[in-house]
Amino acid sequence: MARRIKLSVENLSKTFRVSAGRGAPPSLLPVLRNISFQVREGDIVSLIGESGCGKTTLLRIVQGLVARDAGNVKVDGKPVSAPGQDRGFVFQQASLLPWRSARENVEFGLELRRVPADVRRQRAAELLKLVGLGAAGEQYAHQLSGGMQQRVGLARALAIDPALLLMDEPFSALDAQTREELQAELLRIQSKTGKTVLFVTHDLDEAIYLSDQIVVLGARPSRVKTIIDVPFPRPRPPLSKLRGEPRFQQIRDEVWELISQKTAAVA
Amino acid sequence: MTARDAALSGADLKESAEIDVEDIATSGPSNRELWCIRVASIIFVLGAWEYFGRQANPLFASYPTAIARSFVTLIENGELIAALITSLKTLVISFVLGTVIGLVLGLLVGRYRRFEASVDWIISALYSTPKVAILPLIVLWLGLGAPTKIFLVTMTVIFPILINTIAGVKNVPAQLIDVGDAFAASERDIFLKIILPSAIPYMIAGIRLSVGKAVIALVVAEFFTAISGLGALITKYGNMYDTATMFVPILTLMLLGVLLQSGAKAAEKRLAAWRFTD
Repeated sequence: MARRIKLSVENLSKTFRVSAGRGAPPSLLPVLRNISFQVREGDIVSLIGESGCGKTTLLRIVQGLVARDAGNVKVDGKPVSAPGQDRGFVFQQASLLPWRSARENVEFGLELRRVPADVRRQRAAELLKLVGLGAAGEQYAHQLSGGMQQRVGLARALAIDPALLLMDEPFSALDAQTREELQAELLRIQSKTGKTVLFVTHDLDEAIYLSDQIVVLGARPSRVKTIIDVPFPRPRPPLSKLRGEPRFQQIRDEVWELISQKTAAVA
Repeated sequence: MTARDAALSGADLKESAEIDVEDIATSGPSNRELWCIRVASIIFVLGAWEYFGRQANPLFASYPTAIARSFVTLIENGELIAALITSLKTLVISFVLGTVIGLVLGLLVGRYRRFEASVDWIISALYSTPKVAILPLIVLWLGLGAPTKIFLVTMTVIFPILINTIAGVKNVPAQLIDVGDAFAASERDIFLKIILPSAIPYMIAGIRLSVGKAVIALVVAEFFTAISGLGALITKYGNMYDTATMFVPILTLMLLGVLLQSGAKAAEKRLAAWRFTD
């Protein structure tokens, strides 16, 4: 069954200019070099690589928050370069607006589109229910636990019904138990909404558990080392069970090997 | 269990269930107890003032009951109300003007670096100038009437609000601006839906600061220009060596300051309600 390509990243490169301090000339820091990969509709694809390899930068380029130097990003075949509501972004820190209730945070993107208040309200209520926060709509962000805040962040991104969901290490700041809970929740919500997800993480188990494909990035300036297919059918058993599968260990070892070996500096 | 343990487990409880946690063993004095102490303190100080004030020459000092009698007299002959209304007019007009100018200017200066570069030097210069020192010049420009008073008080009100608003805009967390950008918000929406609400606590802090300064500027203006309002009452009864009556407008000004302060506080609770929830 050939599914449509939802996101296509082609030959993407990015170099930052780093000021070395007073007087010193700025130096150039190449972060991404010639990155290409595709995400099929309805898939969850993880970007994994050691910290500082530029995976977050890559995600922010896809969102349009960072300008690229070269290459193309296409969503549904159309090139994108600026932020747009065809992509929903979930931040590492939930980044909820603290003066808004959970419900008002979920309504944020719809408000920008001038969606009428009653429609917004109803949509927010549906989404809060979907992420398991049906009763917490009127709470402020700081009244919610970290896991609950991240659920609101997810609902806020889903509220605008994006073609593509971009998630930047959204569970990395949570304690282990909450993290596993939310990973399972993400799978449930994704299967219900059918959203295409691009997920940045540095957690191997998380990448394997969530993904249909894992894009392994090398050290800076990073390029795509390998793209690994994760064969487990959905719906998947809980992570603790899946970990016991020999195939899981095999993929884990393979990815670990790829990430930990230092890339020879090739031009 | 030590206080630290209690705080830690309290945090855990808060994490798991949204409830208020208070450790009974280590909690401090009750509200009721604190109020009793406060009232006792007030009674003690007023009593001491009354006792020692009666011993002193009435020219140099007065005491609470004498001031209360003068207060009734000034209310009955209408002098206090008339003066209060005159002063309030100046104060309200200046406050509205100063607040609007301070907030709008502060938002623009805080957000747009080019605009900031074009006006920041003049803001620093005027902020550091004692406004009272240019009063003679203002009188030359605007005369001795209401415009001079309004000008002086407005100039005094603007700066605390302006400086605080600028700080508020500059301190909007970058990650919140990021949220606006990620959701493709227009510059206008980023301003109205992210920067403005984020800066409101700073703005209100500025307004609260300016209240005290405004009252001082008002009295100075009423002393040194066309004598009017509560400042005039102070001068009049001071010149008559009627110290008890002179205290009435002074205490009225004090009450006015306290009232305006609590008004600003109440506004904060309304406009920044999220900061007052636990």
